[in-house]
Amino acid sequence: MAATNPFPLGKDALLNCYRTMRTIREFEERLHVDFGRGDIPGFVHLYAGEEATAVGIMSHLGDGDRIASTHRGHGHCIAKGVDVIAMMKEIYGKKGGCGNGKGGSMHIADLSKGMMGANGILGAGAPLVCGAALAAKYRKSGDVAICFVGDGASNQGTFLESLNLAAVWNLPALFVIENNGYAESTSRDYGTAVDSYVDRASGFGMPGVTVDGTDFFAVYEAAGEIIKRAREGGGPSMLECKMVRFFGHFEGDAQTYRAAGENEANRAHKDCLKLFAAQVTGAGVISASELKSIDDQVLGLIEDAVTQAKAAPLPTAADLLTDVYVSY
Amino acid sequence: MPTTAPRPDACVGIIANPISARDIRRIIANASNLQIAERVNIVMRLLTTLHALGVERVLMMPDKAGLRAMLTRNLSREHQRRHGLPALEFLDMDAASTVEDTFRAARMMREAGVSALIVLGGDGTHRAVVRECRDIPIAGLSTGTNNAFPEMREPTIAALAVGLYATGRLSAEQALAPNKLLEISINNGERRDIALVDAVISRERYIGARAVWKTDHLSAAYLTFADPQAIGLSAIGGLLQPVGRRDPHGLAIALSDEPATRRVRLQAPIAPGLVSEVGIAGWEAMPAGQAFSVELDAGIVALDGERELPFEAGDRVQVTLRDNAFPTVDVARCMHIAAGAGLFHHPFRHA
Repeated sequence: MAATNPFPLGKDALLNCYRTMRTIREFEERLHVDFGRGDIPGFVHLYAGEEATAVGIMSHLGDGDRIASTHRGHGHCIAKGVDVIAMMKEIYGKKGGCGNGKGGSMHIADLSKGMMGANGILGAGAPLVCGAALAAKYRKSGDVAICFVGDGASNQGTFLESLNLAAVWNLPALFVIENNGYAESTSRDYGTAVDSYVDRASGFGMPGVTVDGTDFFAVYEAAGEIIKRAREGGGPSMLECKMVRFFGHFEGDAQTYRAAGENEANRAHKDCLKLFAAQVTGAGVISASELKSIDDQVLGLIEDAVTQAKAAPLPTAADLLTDVYVSY
Repeated sequence: MPTTAPRPDACVGIIANPISARDIRRIIANASNLQIAERVNIVMRLLTTLHALGVERVLMMPDKAGLRAMLTRNLSREHQRRHGLPALEFLDMDAASTVEDTFRAARMMREAGVSALIVLGGDGTHRAVVRECRDIPIAGLSTGTNNAFPEMREPTIAALAVGLYATGRLSAEQALAPNKLLEISINNGERRDIALVDAVISRERYIGARAVWKTDHLSAAYLTFADPQAIGLSAIGGLLQPVGRRDPHGLAIALSDEPATRRVRLQAPIAPGLVSEVGIAGWEAMPAGQAFSVELDAGIVALDGERELPFEAGDRVQVTLRDNAFPTVDVARCMHIAAGAGLFHHPFRHA
């Protein structure tokens, strides 16, 4: 292909980013179907539609960098490099899952990848990130810690206290507001006194940036500058990513709070995967057939993950007493 | 002489961008972030001032970023306190939280017959308004990152000037001033856009986080005016060869980091708090109506500080200065005329 690459990532890296985003998308689309069939125990909250944010940020991170996720954590896990098959087993509640099937969707963690855990408690990841960032600062490792929260959880006291702590201690922490417009089913206008989340950053003396979370390259560039600043000792900051979620708050959510046609419009015009594909193919850097090849491979991976998850054994009663305590 | 009888049907539009001053320049250059609460305070000051002059109807762009929600709460409080305010109507449109909101609001306000538009934003926001609405006078208020186009001014004074014009106390000849703009055309109009202050050619070729701050990528700059006190890419021209806002010409600058072609090395504040070196290969006046062809093969056109129009080898990119392109409310002149004519000697009561 004769076209020169205008993007800040090489072709292989672009293909990897697309593969990761596609993996998140297909993972979630499959869970939507399988949950509807009653195959999956517990609750699932799907990340479909929000992939550009997770991958745009995580592309700057290594395994030493830590993240704390949310109840809607599958995308963060996949983007941070957690094994997809182990994740699927966990969500199916099977042995061999990230938590040996005892945690489920909202408790997926893999410390070897710097993934400190999805979290069923809204806003609970922020204090954890302050701890991880303090450790990185103390060790002078150059690592950063990133907290993901939804727009609703950013009203939690834990989150606001963590902003204060991170600012006072000048921690290498980044607080990412994934603003999909709804706190569960409550619109922001109804439940938030000041809808601008970066205004809260100002209140704690840290910079805040708003970016189009559906545009991978916008997220990638902004996150790169913010993470670089944190690694250099510049301290904490906030990144608000405006995005859309394709499914309800949880699977089974009737979404009566949405305007008619909202989901269809989001899929038609704000699909971050389509936007990414249009940009890289439009520039002549990657061909549609190369993307299609990745799509097919990802579908195969997800099918394999589901097959393995279904075949894996359930935890036994004896497993209840394992993994309770950790030796340091 | 100006009339002192206010027009009873005066209507003013307010387009307040809730997410201006939110981009990556907060990280790179410590640029300021005007909080939503402050933007709401500005709108409240506009409303009380317009009411004092007899403007009783104000249209406003709705948003999903907090302005409308907080403003509605504030208005409810003020109405309970029985403070006089104009009727504020939010346009009947769904907010998409993109620049499309500004485009649409400008069109709707024009159709609704507003006398003037008060715009809260930076250069990019004002550009979006003018792109859709070139015949309604604008009074710009600086709430963005680079504010070369809107002048720094207390909103109360801008509202006084707008009120004088909207109510007919000052005529168009007295109140308004003409402005230049740049028209950018790719492949003879296949793609078109405008810039109010600067169209800058960069070797970067993707839009990404939009803001331009890497000067070593810059290839050329086309400016409607160049103020030595400006912040942003037009500061390059302002410190090289100033051009007035009302001068009939603009400025075209060829930029180069190559020692062989570079004639001048210039330090310029290309963003708040960010003084960067740029290499200047040459510059010339830009007469109105003359198309300047972009020499760079492939790159992006940044409009008023934001990467907007990527182009590839083979694309024909042209930049043309247009004079007398759209009107603004000349706030300083309005206030001087009003003071001289004694327009403020009478109470501003309306019928």
